[in-house]
Amino acid sequence: MATMEREKLLEVKNLKKHFKVDRKAVLKAVDDVSFDIYKGETLGLVGESGCGKSTTGRTIIRLYEATDGEVLYEGKNVHGKKSARELKEFNRKMQMIFQDPYASLNPRMTVKDIIAEGIDIHRLAKNSKERNERVYELLETVGLNKDHANRYPHEFSGGQRQRIGIARALAVDPDFIIADEPISALDVSIQAQVVNLLMKLQKERGLTYLFIAHDLSMVKHISDRVGVMYLGNLVELAGSDELYEEPLHPYTQALLSAIPVPDPEVERSRERIILEGDLPSPINPPSGCRFRTRCPHAMDVCARVNPKWQEAREGHWVACHLYDQEFNKEGK
Amino acid sequence: MEKLLELKNVHVSFHTYGGEVKAVRGVSFHLEKGESLAIVGESGSGKSVTSKAVMRLLPNKTSEIKEGQILFEGKDLARLPEKGMEKIRGKEISMIFQDPMTSLNPTMTIGKQIMEGLRKHQNMSKSEAQERAINLLKLVGIPNPEIRIKEYPHQFSGGMRQRVVIAIALACNPKVLIADEPTTALDVTIQAQILDLMRDLQKKTGTAIILITHDLGVVANLAQRVAVMYGGTIVETGTVDEIFYNPKHPYTWGLLSSMPKLNAESKELLAIPGTPPDLLNPPKGCPFAARCPHAMQVCLNHMPESTKVSSTHQAACWLLDERAPKVEPPEAALVGGAR
Repeated sequence: MATMEREKLLEVKNLKKHFKVDRKAVLKAVDDVSFDIYKGETLGLVGESGCGKSTTGRTIIRLYEATDGEVLYEGKNVHGKKSARELKEFNRKMQMIFQDPYASLNPRMTVKDIIAEGIDIHRLAKNSKERNERVYELLETVGLNKDHANRYPHEFSGGQRQRIGIARALAVDPDFIIADEPISALDVSIQAQVVNLLMKLQKERGLTYLFIAHDLSMVKHISDRVGVMYLGNLVELAGSDELYEEPLHPYTQALLSAIPVPDPEVERSRERIILEGDLPSPINPPSGCRFRTRCPHAMDVCARVNPKWQEAREGHWVACHLYDQEFNKEGK
Repeated sequence: MEKLLELKNVHVSFHTYGGEVKAVRGVSFHLEKGESLAIVGESGSGKSVTSKAVMRLLPNKTSEIKEGQILFEGKDLARLPEKGMEKIRGKEISMIFQDPMTSLNPTMTIGKQIMEGLRKHQNMSKSEAQERAINLLKLVGIPNPEIRIKEYPHQFSGGMRQRVVIAIALACNPKVLIADEPTTALDVTIQAQILDLMRDLQKKTGTAIILITHDLGVVANLAQRVAVMYGGTIVETGTVDEIFYNPKHPYTWGLLSSMPKLNAESKELLAIPGTPPDLLNPPKGCPFAARCPHAMQVCLNHMPESTKVSSTHQAACWLLDERAPKVEPPEAALVGGAR
């Protein structure tokens, strides 16, 4: 893929985020995850609930302190000790859009003040006239108009609120936006509106996205590359077309075959891989490969050894023993 | 085929401080024995209200079925007194809700919750009911049912809970099962398990299913016939093939084209502009007119009549009138075989 020559914007190296549940138990929400995000691309992160995709996003932007590993933004570590000024600079460059457009906007603030909060903190406007102008411009960018500026969040529909959330993220002129399930709470026809808006903004402003979602078809649509997570681990990462056409990891294969396709003919004829059982608890995950308890191809080695994160093909990374050199000889 | 359930021109309104919200405005459809009918629509389209009207689960004080008939085996459920309704609810028609987390009682064991309906409707003794409960859990694929019936809902995962809810709904061998977004709260791999289970159970028990959902993928997977709802009315009905391969209503086109297709190359999605109508002041004409790219003068002022496309396929759109211009569906709305 052409991504190889491109400049890295963000490097995530062996990132870990563990939560203490009680005195003994530790929940390993993100356990040793590494990936890069290139400038101007959209990296999709998919997985089922509890796989750690949101925690990964929140740890990257430092809403959570990392337990171990590092996140490098343009070569500089996001975590670790920082002066208030350095921190502010990171916060301006990285912004986040949240899942629930009802919970992520302060109901007691007007739309204008919500959007301008970042402008005020970073002193991006010289006077109130400039501040207003910026807000109006942002509202128009996201498809609202300036009459909306003095209203409160409850006066808007879900799709409109998500637009306000996007305007707030754009207010400080960021380079990198983490979108954590930005469309999950919206209706189908409104989802398409918001996704089109995000793609348009990316084109106009050269933004880089980390797009977190569980809707695989939407992720494929918006992303250049897609990573699949399972129980705190990244199991596969590849260009989005390649991942959907030739998934390597058994979990990715099952996940893709489980999506119902809006085409009755296809639904009648296709064979599904239906995974048995439920997601194991992340507090006490299985030894070795975490997917082995539900994997149709599980071997002895899977229980003993953690599969290596390896590049099975150019630009196509996978963590599975089926793609180890020595096991491949025996044939799949 | 025999009509098991038939809705004729049903109107449901809610009384709020703001005025009367006309949530369902003249809905007619029927359900045949043993078939599965999907009702598709966005939030606020009236699909859940319609199903709750059938079950008579709408709040008495603030809502009413203003007009129309809900015929089930000759009886009009819309006018049935509560006592008579109790004999039907859970026995003849039962319902599965979206969130298995809140539809189970957290203070009762699973077994007791399954046995509740059996004891009430079928006068079973405790031991008979217990045996049937164990069989039902086996049927819906829960391992170790003898032990699990003594456990509480919090000891089950989301997918397992939805299986329990299905077991409760099927306990009295109902003729109709209404499933309101049965898989929306579940993950894809668990959703696939539950859809598989529902299809399997329908084959075994012959229960007719009304599936309420916004997910066209789920519709294609499970339904034989589809009704598309918008703004409190049904805009199009047909067999699943007719709706997906030969859609006639611009709203159905919009729905089909705003979904990304896994096999298509990434291009811009065709979004439906605007938002659904406010049912406090529903539009005089077609509810979709304000968002429809093909809207004409007549659409704004007159509600379109339902027009027959084939013996099973109907759409309510002025474009189907012989005087209307010919309009082709957008390319993005074409699904697989229609190309």
